[in-house]
Amino acid sequence: MDQTATTALADLVRRAQKGDEIAQRELIVAYQHRVAGFVFAMTNRSDYVEDLSQQVFIKMIRALDRLQAPAQFESWLFRLARNTCIDQLRRQKLRRIFLPFGDEHENIPEPPGAVDTEELDALRHALAQLRPQDRALLALVQEGRSHAEIAETLETSVAAVKARLHRAREHLREHYQPDHED
Amino acid sequence: MNTFANITNLTMKTENQAWRDLQMHASAQLRADFANRTLRIARGPAAAEWEQLHTHAATQLRPGFAARVLRAAREIPRRLTLSEQLVFGAATAAVCLLAVVYLHAHNARVENERNLAGWQQLAQEADELDQTL
Repeated sequence: MDQTATTALADLVRRAQKGDEIAQRELIVAYQHRVAGFVFAMTNRSDYVEDLSQQVFIKMIRALDRLQAPAQFESWLFRLARNTCIDQLRRQKLRRIFLPFGDEHENIPEPPGAVDTEELDALRHALAQLRPQDRALLALVQEGRSHAEIAETLETSVAAVKARLHRAREHLREHYQPDHED
Repeated sequence: MNTFANITNLTMKTENQAWRDLQMHASAQLRADFANRTLRIARGPAAAEWEQLHTHAATQLRPGFAARVLRAAREIPRRLTLSEQLVFGAATAAVCLLAVVYLHAHNARVENERNLAGWQQLAQEADELDQTL
């Protein structure tokens, strides 16, 4: 993002922080597709995309006044998105433990080919084999977050991010088979 | 000698042919775009696949998404965060504990008073009995 765009974004965030609904709407419209992509990469479920994206943006609106540095908005937003998705995956895991036969429809994976092309299915299949933390890492990189920003988001060091990213990419490559059959 | 050479040649031809057949059979098992596919797997998912993933995800948002989020942010009561839930739980437990301690102390005091009154009455009756005797 260039300097002008960064300044414009910071201004927009400041307006939204003051409760300007038009600015809040602009922020949602500007980031809704990217957040949706992030949520889908994290959960691998099309039916979660709208709900979880909505949760992310509601949290964004409610916590926006606590954001100290408007220039850090993007990394802050994707941290919210990551935490929301990881919370959802944890809740889902707990539900599976405590209600193994309840809400079975929640655990039905999308059939291969239901989404799109063979390559996309392969990517989804490979992502599904990774730990949520690794999926988040790869999705954050796809969002253009720098190693330093990711380190800040995950509250770890840049070196640790690089090492984890390397391992996550290796795992993704291992599981990436465009002609896989489930 | 010639016959031996002919037989050897024939055997070698048959063997070579067999190898060629085997290779042909094996290569027929490979899909038409084998090379591209292998390269793609070796390189891992490309930017285009991530792009497809984002595009698919974006289509899952129904029109009017921003308006719905803003409305929900106004209308839906804020859910307690995990730390708030923990603080709330701890506060509830503390209040319950205080109530139990207070009730226990109160009951013990009432019981003591009743027992003391009983003993006093008993002592009084014993004194009266001593005096009459």
